[in-house]
Amino acid sequence: MSWATPHFGTGSLTANPPTGRRVALVAVATLIALAAAVVGGLVIGPTSIGTTRVVGDVASHLGLGHSTLTPLQSSIIWQFRAPRMVLGLLAGSMLAVAGGTYQGVFRNPLADPYLLGVAAGAGLGATIAIVDVGGGLTTPYWTPLLAFVGAMVAVAVTWVIGGRGLRSNTSTLILAGVAVASLFTSTQTFLQQQSSTNSIARVYIWLLGSLASASWSSVLLVLPYVAICLLICVAAGRALDVMSVGEDESRSLGLPVQRVRFVVIVASSLGTAAIVSAVGLIGFVGIIVPHIVRLLVGTSYRRILPLSVAFGAAFLVFADTIARTVLAPSELPLGVVTAIVGAPVFVIILSLRRRMVT
Amino acid sequence: MSTVEIDNLSVRAGSATLISDVSLNVEAGTWCTIIGPNGAGKTTLVETVAGLRRASKGTVSISGELVGSMNERERAKRVALVPQHPTVPSGMSVRDYVALGRTPYHGLLRAPSAVDRRAVDDVLTRLSLDEFSRRDVITLSGGERQRMVLARALAQSTMVMVLDEPITGLDLRHQMTMLELLQKEVHECGLTVLATLHDLTLAGQFADRLVLLNHGEVVLDGPSSEVVRSEELAACYEMKLRVVEVDGADVVIPVRH
Repeated sequence: MSWATPHFGTGSLTANPPTGRRVALVAVATLIALAAAVVGGLVIGPTSIGTTRVVGDVASHLGLGHSTLTPLQSSIIWQFRAPRMVLGLLAGSMLAVAGGTYQGVFRNPLADPYLLGVAAGAGLGATIAIVDVGGGLTTPYWTPLLAFVGAMVAVAVTWVIGGRGLRSNTSTLILAGVAVASLFTSTQTFLQQQSSTNSIARVYIWLLGSLASASWSSVLLVLPYVAICLLICVAAGRALDVMSVGEDESRSLGLPVQRVRFVVIVASSLGTAAIVSAVGLIGFVGIIVPHIVRLLVGTSYRRILPLSVAFGAAFLVFADTIARTVLAPSELPLGVVTAIVGAPVFVIILSLRRRMVT
Repeated sequence: MSTVEIDNLSVRAGSATLISDVSLNVEAGTWCTIIGPNGAGKTTLVETVAGLRRASKGTVSISGELVGSMNERERAKRVALVPQHPTVPSGMSVRDYVALGRTPYHGLLRAPSAVDRRAVDDVLTRLSLDEFSRRDVITLSGGERQRMVLARALAQSTMVMVLDEPITGLDLRHQMTMLELLQKEVHECGLTVLATLHDLTLAGQFADRLVLLNHGEVVLDGPSSEVVRSEELAACYEMKLRVVEVDGADVVIPVRH
């Protein structure tokens, strides 16, 4: 008998799997960070409105006390900052959880929500809308719709080419994803090359991701997808734990591996496609958040996925607050901020882990 | 009725025939070991019994039910597998690893019940893994990991266990410990064992019955003492073998030409 190589290193900050107490502490800290991100998302902005007044206004909407905000201030909070913050919560949680489930189902630490071509498909769809291929595709109505369709078409093509993911192994599916992404990206590049400078600039802005166009209607549009997909992905935690011993062993333990893989991939891809259609391509969240959570609470997906919901949400709202305030009144691309903020946090946690394990 | 019934089984991979027309019955509460040279089809046979491979012809039944017609969950309640190369997922505690064996009982959406937890505790105690239960699986030695993998299979509470080369890579003491633990389960709990082994001496000492496989076909099937002394055994390995008796046990010694 020999032993298969572990996939995620030792996985956590401690030599032994974290205790329940440690997990509870991390959960409480994450929820506090989430609450802080929510308050920050509402309070911080170019127009200064005091924290207590904003909190009082939120409380008044819940039937507690009276608001002291002017109609303009209330409008800033409820028509601009609140939908943006809520969309950030949805996007952060969905991307983080999709990344976590992809890492589990593919047993690959480098997997992220864009692995099977979602980003390339959405990019091509959005580009078709922005450069107005064929005419009549006036943005902003067509951009999210075609981005969503492009993302789902890319995943479907990957699934078919990769042997429908059922009889084939996951490596075939990943390679099919690489091929499809290359094809879609090349087509997108060709369309950009044929379009105007103005269109190219708009495509790049979309590709870097932003919550600037968030509205309550965009929140309501993605909410059903995200809610259902999050629920399915988080519920798959126990199955992903079983899958950590490999496909054959999982089957011998009673896991319907092919069905689980199909459901998890569909839920992750659908949720990601919905988010990408609304906010563009925000990188880094899907790969870094599950890894940070894994380092804090260990390798069990029953812990990683629920905590990734809160951690991813807090992380993205926090990053967006930086994106819209650092260079105010102009904005930094959100994808740039997630990388600039996320990479050092990840490095710090990695070095902490090395110090604690050695 | 036998617990495991293999009837005229053939398994193909592409154009290659891995096993051909194998028929074999294993009685309840007995230990049957498959022996044979590399490439004989031993792993294919046990993987087919465990439901991991499809038969191209013939059937495998456990207690009269066809393995091929069971879903994964039903199958995992009837037959447990100790694979040749188990995956040890880093960061998982020994207890959580052993508890994976209860997956077919509590399903994927429900938490393990009190019965599941008791079953895991019981197996951890039986295999003296209590003291390691909170440890990360990758911190265990080879012998301890081996016991842990056996514990996971026992936690499945199945009538049948198939083991593919379960003692490869272990030192002599751990090889003996592993096989003795398994024999105890056969004698005390009525477990039915179908295993593959390369070590002919240990295969002969522990199994009730040996099945010699070569080129995917059964060459000989019989009591251990007869099979280890057979001319067919030496012929399959294409070498000279001697069997000496030490304290009532057969020891198979290869003789250099």
